Amino acid sequence: MEKKTGVFVCAGCGIAQSLDLESLKRDASEHVQGGICREHPCLCSPEGIAYIRQCMEVEGLNRLVIAACSPRVMHDVFDFGPGTVLERVNLREQVIWCHAANDEDTQMLAQDQLRMGIIKALECEPPAPFSQDDFSKRILVVGGGLAGMTAAMETAKAGYEAVLVEKSDQLGGYMKSVHKLPPSGPPYEELRDFDLQAQVEQLLATENIKVYQKARIARISGGPCLFDVEIDVNGGPVAERVGAVVLCTGAVPYDPHKLGHLGYGVFPDVITALQLESMFTSTSVVRPSNGEPVSSVAFILCAGSRDPDHLPYCSSACCIESLKQAKYFKMSNPQTPVYIFYRDLRAHGHYELFYKQLQKDGTIFVRGTVTGVEDDGSGGLIVTADDILTGAPVTTESVDLVVLANGMVPTTAMGEPFKAQTPAEGEETPAAPADSIIASDILNLQYRQGPELPALKYGFPDSHFICFPYESRRTGIYPAGTVRAPMDWARAVEDAAGAALKAIQCVEMTSRGGAVHPRSGDLSYPEFFMQRCTQCKRCTEECPFGAINEDEKANPLPNPTRCRRCGVCMGACPERIISFRNYSVGMIGNMIKSIQVPDEYEEKPRILVLACENDAYPALDLAGIKRLSYSPWFRIIPLRCLGSMNLVWIADALSKGIDGILLLGCRHGEDYQCHFIKGSELAQIRMSKIQETLNRLVLESDRVRLEQLSIADYPRLPEILESFAARLEELGPNPYKGY
Amino acid sequence: MDPKNISLEMRDYIWEMGAETLNWCMQCGLCTNLCPWRLVPGETSESFNIRHMQRLGQMGMEGFEDEKSLFACTTCGTCQVNCPRGVKIIDNVRAMRASIVGAGMAPGSLRPILGSAHANGNPWSGPREKRTEWQSGLDVPQFGPDREYFLFVCCHSCYDPRSTKIAKSIVRLLTAAQVSFGVIGVEESCCGESMRKIGDEELFQKLAESNIGLFNGRGVTKIITTSPHCTWSFKNEYPAMGGEWEVFHYTEILDRAVQQGKLSFSRETGKRVAFHDPCYLGRHGGLYEPPRNLLKSLPGCHAVELNRTREMSLCCAGGGGRIWGEVPMGERFGELRIEDACARGAEILATACPYCVNMLTDACTSLGRQDALEIAELSEVLSRTLS
Repeated sequence: MEKKTGVFVCAGCGIAQSLDLESLKRDASEHVQGGICREHPCLCSPEGIAYIRQCMEVEGLNRLVIAACSPRVMHDVFDFGPGTVLERVNLREQVIWCHAANDEDTQMLAQDQLRMGIIKALECEPPAPFSQDDFSKRILVVGGGLAGMTAAMETAKAGYEAVLVEKSDQLGGYMKSVHKLPPSGPPYEELRDFDLQAQVEQLLATENIKVYQKARIARISGGPCLFDVEIDVNGGPVAERVGAVVLCTGAVPYDPHKLGHLGYGVFPDVITALQLESMFTSTSVVRPSNGEPVSSVAFILCAGSRDPDHLPYCSSACCIESLKQAKYFKMSNPQTPVYIFYRDLRAHGHYELFYKQLQKDGTIFVRGTVTGVEDDGSGGLIVTADDILTGAPVTTESVDLVVLANGMVPTTAMGEPFKAQTPAEGEETPAAPADSIIASDILNLQYRQGPELPALKYGFPDSHFICFPYESRRTGIYPAGTVRAPMDWARAVEDAAGAALKAIQCVEMTSRGGAVHPRSGDLSYPEFFMQRCTQCKRCTEECPFGAINEDEKANPLPNPTRCRRCGVCMGACPERIISFRNYSVGMIGNMIKSIQVPDEYEEKPRILVLACENDAYPALDLAGIKRLSYSPWFRIIPLRCLGSMNLVWIADALSKGIDGILLLGCRHGEDYQCHFIKGSELAQIRMSKIQETLNRLVLESDRVRLEQLSIADYPRLPEILESFAARLEELGPNPYKGY
Repeated sequence: MDPKNISLEMRDYIWEMGAETLNWCMQCGLCTNLCPWRLVPGETSESFNIRHMQRLGQMGMEGFEDEKSLFACTTCGTCQVNCPRGVKIIDNVRAMRASIVGAGMAPGSLRPILGSAHANGNPWSGPREKRTEWQSGLDVPQFGPDREYFLFVCCHSCYDPRSTKIAKSIVRLLTAAQVSFGVIGVEESCCGESMRKIGDEELFQKLAESNIGLFNGRGVTKIITTSPHCTWSFKNEYPAMGGEWEVFHYTEILDRAVQQGKLSFSRETGKRVAFHDPCYLGRHGGLYEPPRNLLKSLPGCHAVELNRTREMSLCCAGGGGRIWGEVPMGERFGELRIEDACARGAEILATACPYCVNMLTDACTSLGRQDALEIAELSEVLSRTLS
């Protein structure tokens, strides 16, 4: 189809008062290649939109460049359907709001930004959604405990089909051994009964749920809407195709044998919380040592948890579970001496009232570290602790039973670390550090990067904790419940419902060819020009989502439905054979090449900013909204992720005479903020290899700088930008100007 | 450090002595931070930590009986009204003291006080027959069926020479306001409020029973008190033991009389007067307006508010038995009040409690400010302006 571009410059919001629009349109007209260039007093008004539509119709436009406000606002107003290429040029937030009005340098900035927008629009093609006619919208739920049962029920309630796989011969998981639940309604003081059997029966009677018991997942291959699942059940394999997966395999108690210092394995009357719960379920609460009734009890919280030698994290549910178990004793005999040794009692929300009730019941709460559990010589046990609140060591009177709240370990942490294939002799080592994947034999993914979900810490599947906790690093697989993070039963129920809805979103999005979070609905996906592939494996190694498998000859095998459209593969590819229809190495390269670089005698440096569009770009917008001003030498290009940055752009920019390049990406490391997990980290690694390019050009390494930035860091932007500009001024102009 | 033993028996004993909410405490420590002892330096300030003391009580652990801690609390109630758990901290203090005093281990300095209250019906070592000596020169009516109110004069104002002026002023004012009142006299006993706070539960029971028998026997239905400590005890402690009367602090009666036009003040005051809210009148009794209304009704009186006022009023340090405590200069809460009043240009610091007058006067003298600032009971300020 013939490309016909319309450039629309908005005169509103003070743009006309700050810029010479006539000159701007004149310059733009030279680049639109037969298109049109128009101005309107207020493009986002109904009249403005009608005007654009009228021009589209009259002129047959299929590409639009709207030079007005930031693309982060008015996106619903400037929506002309998927068939029209739309490029927004940010004249308001990033030009007139942070630079001097009616100034030559501001005008040049506006012209460069508009020109880059036009180049991009001209090179873009409307994406064609990926589709296959064997897409499935069924949801696989792995694990039939409380979270799994909830996820399956919620899936069915929403009108989707669920396939539930449970390893044991009964549904219910941990709840099978639970006697009562902590309070969940006013006055939050009494325990709650629950009927697991009724829930199981309801689930089994639900039409849209297919249940496999005594079953395990032998393998999962494919991607969202195309997952092929092989289930081992009753000795025979069963195949199911599903669209998304909810992982609810839960957690197991921390191995109490490692808690010898708290008396486990030393004294028979030191037991775990689960053992005590089972005693109450079986209504035989007696001392294991002699079968006598329990007349006094001490609970030790954080037994293993929040302990660097055991589980460094808080297991979250034990405080309330222990309060609940203390209540069991107070209910059967209010005079029973009950001690609770704790570090911080995490009884959040209404549980505070339950905690208070236990205090009123006369439970003795001791805050501090337990230093010993000893035999008192007459068959009882004495617990000694350093009590923070009196600043002194304290000892209990003799107790009959000591209960350890031994925390929880996710089932995904049980297994040997998966070892990525080590590169053969002479092969280049991959840039990205390998993911931490534990072969826990749960999902058995047929993914090149490993068989399970990558973990961030402690074996819990990694999610983008800050922004989207349900996500994992494998598209379409959503962990929920205690396998995702330590949590109590109430949160697990909410978590499972949330994950089921995320899974449904995923199958709906994918079946329309769209991306899931965070580029929700993006119809583009990477296309590989395979003839030029050198099998370097960088794309397969570096994809944060494991979207790319490889064949036996190491050729990449992309799975478009696994793709999140970040473009990390595009940034990784040394041959530049990976492109999106609306985002490619050549396209950004040509935008860079379209920047006008005045010669060195004009003393107008040019600095390229490649800004992550998730955090850095909005921060730049915020700087504009707050009217923070900075030098007009900067030319800003948003990137899907800094991980999509291809080093060739830096070479392109420097060899054109651009004085410096500033890369603005998200914080990486432990509390990473990158929406694509390791994009900014990969950019940093690639940056370390820029030296080669700079040496070739005989340029100073200081001409390229990477800064980590979150949205909230916008007040720092002027300083970041100005200090870089000052450093470049010290270095002097790029000698390649004019070439 | 050798471990201390948790004693459930001791914990339960303290509980039974009245520390019903001791276990509610979650040890946040807000009480300790709000405690006025934090505002002064010195040994007591450093050793007394109400959070820690309650912690020891919760576990029945030894250590809380240390005199410097256990008897430091002035029961001002600042912690209690701000406690996020609604812990009745003063009851806890009282119960912990009772567990020690009840076992015959009252601190030596308090024994003569308790002994006098046992023997004389007042803690001031005043012979019972001299309880009415303050009335000399005044025609104080005797309570009888013809009298609406029984005027109960605090022991402090019966025996302490400085304090007797308060009783006299109140009598003059009530007379001027045409209130029908009368006193009983030597048979009256101390209300026992402070004795109970010290922890002598048995003594309190004895005093209260004696008073209840006396008052009920004389047909008392309405009581006017001179001290807010008596007001509080009659209102809050006596009903459970059979003493149910309508109880008023004298400022309530006078305030009403002024509003009804039965009482007016004609002589110009012309002074800047600051009002110190007594803990038992304000925080414990909820009476903030009557004394202020009365000051406002004085012609030419410039009322000054102190830095800490009403609910956040700073204690004089005389409650909870502390009026018998020896506190070195520089560690007295009253000194902070005096400094504050002076900084605000007050010429008179008025209050409405004999204990407060006592404590603030000591503080003013120790600071050498007696020439700049007069400490007065509100009734004294008012009675001077009667025509």
